[in-house]
Amino acid sequence: MSPTRFASEHKWIYLGAILVLVVLAIIGIVQYESVKSTNEAAEKANKLADAAEDAGYPRPDTEVIERALGTDGGIVCEDPATALRSALWKINVSNGAAFVGQRPVIGDTKALRAEAKILEIYCPEKLDRFKDRFDDLKTDDTVRRDA
Amino acid sequence: MASMDVPADVPKRTQTAPPTQAAAVRATPAPVLTWVTLALMTTSSVASLRAAPTMAVYGLACVFLYLVPAVVFLLPTALVSAELASGWSGGVYRWVSEGLSKPLGFLAVWCQFAMTIFYYPSLLAFVASTISYVIDPSLASNGLYTAIVIMVLYWTGVWVSSRGTKALAGLSSWGLIIGTLVPGTILVVLGIVFLGQGNPSAAPMTASHLLPEWTGLASLVLIVNNFLSYSGMEMNAVHVSSLKDPAKEYPKSMFLAMGLVLLIFILPALAISWVVPADQTSLTAGVMQAFNAFFSYFHIGWMTPIAAVMLVAASLGGMLTWLAGPSKGLLEISRSEGYLPPFLQKLNKYGIQQNILVTQGVVTTAIALMYALIPNVSSVYWIFSTITTQVYLIVYLLMFAAAMRLRKTQPDHPRGYRVPALHLMCTVGLLASVAALAIGFVPPSQFGGGSVWSYVLLIGGGLVILGLLIPYAFLKFRKPTWRTERSAS
Repeated sequence: MSPTRFASEHKWIYLGAILVLVVLAIIGIVQYESVKSTNEAAEKANKLADAAEDAGYPRPDTEVIERALGTDGGIVCEDPATALRSALWKINVSNGAAFVGQRPVIGDTKALRAEAKILEIYCPEKLDRFKDRFDDLKTDDTVRRDA
Repeated sequence: MASMDVPADVPKRTQTAPPTQAAAVRATPAPVLTWVTLALMTTSSVASLRAAPTMAVYGLACVFLYLVPAVVFLLPTALVSAELASGWSGGVYRWVSEGLSKPLGFLAVWCQFAMTIFYYPSLLAFVASTISYVIDPSLASNGLYTAIVIMVLYWTGVWVSSRGTKALAGLSSWGLIIGTLVPGTILVVLGIVFLGQGNPSAAPMTASHLLPEWTGLASLVLIVNNFLSYSGMEMNAVHVSSLKDPAKEYPKSMFLAMGLVLLIFILPALAISWVVPADQTSLTAGVMQAFNAFFSYFHIGWMTPIAAVMLVAASLGGMLTWLAGPSKGLLEISRSEGYLPPFLQKLNKYGIQQNILVTQGVVTTAIALMYALIPNVSSVYWIFSTITTQVYLIVYLLMFAAAMRLRKTQPDHPRGYRVPALHLMCTVGLLASVAALAIGFVPPSQFGGGSVWSYVLLIGGGLVILGLLIPYAFLKFRKPTWRTERSAS
């Protein structure tokens, strides 16, 4: 194979990869729904901010919570207890590796419960199945929170 | 990366390829990877933003959690492999073969190769879930969708890898730039803007928060397991012969990769911890939810799907380097020592170990389908992460032992770079690897209240089967006729 043809074939691989990524990005932007601020969103954001304070964190900005979670909890409330999401969730309770060194750890109790708190406020009907999963976990307080 | 379209490195295969293949190989020009490209490939194999939200939960302590492992594991791994690669081509199989023995060299590269088989399904399941965030988040729970995405992406990766080292070098390097360096820089700049606006950091940033909470075993597991964050720094040394001047360029490449890996791991995690309170981080929704919360503060939530696409690019770029590296090492020692059947040693017209990649692909496909379609498999898949990291630690034990022995037995062998205090460095690396191996037997959160001994048996059994029995079987049943290339030494 000539070097020219070799380079040309690689060019098509690069162009193909770029095209797929650009199309995905466009779909993502078109699909992205900006969350509108409503009384319900503000009320739920305040509840979550209160819960964060109770857990020992500085009080988060409720407007940011509104924009991130809206009224329905967004992606957090999207089938949180299905098998595949549970699998990814379990894999994510891990160390700081990004590739092959990723390994499970003993997760922080409050950090893991944070998700349950979001579900409790935004989609309580989905909390039970999630709690079943959470209750089986062995956790510890590995995050320093005291001021 | 001006040289991306130059064909892959081929010097050894001209000795053994069938006449038609050899002719094809001879027709291609000399291979060249720049040291910067190799550094980007190495960084792409190890670091991405995927871990940033997980580590942001620890706030300022994430600096400690990355720096301590950097001193005891990253530094020894990077420096020792820099010395070895600047003296011997071929990567870990060659170093261990020269320093210890050829069967142990095979064991080292087998462990590096075998662990990736279980790794791809979980990586690609993450990619599938990230793509679903862009298209339709409900797809992330759909087994068929996940299976199809894993299959398509994995086999596309095999196809790209089979086109030669240069194709994947380009894609993995650009994957790192587009998928990690650009969004990582955006996160850090926005984080600094956030603090510059006078906002208090969401996570406390006082000196008393530099150390993680000490709760005994759980904290020890967290700290020691993080040694493995730097796994894979040595993997791309198998491409060292693609450099113009390996002795000088490989060490430079490792130093650049080391700096990039540290920056990529630490700074974006810190930036997220400044802006996103830990209580808003959902491990189910994962990285994208944290990014959404981050960008929402700046009223640019629409950036989240773009960040998702960037993460996909980085993950796939990293996967390409893992497809190409260990399989190439496995091929090279198998050709010189006849450790694999001739079918697996066959090369395609680009000089790539296509049959190893395809065979690995068939096994990976079966595992991935089980992961995506059988809930009982997916729910325990995290166990394979532990087993495979245990298997990978065998590589490091062998590499550090080989480095010390090579200094003793071949002190005058030309090396482009010599590690100062090599024995101390190797001892630290060995102890860190042993500690990580031992901590791997401590049951994590996911194991719940199960018996410790059953966990030890599970992990130990997996380690013995995958890391010892299978390579032993290859060594035991190999035939002299399987050797298709003159021994490198």
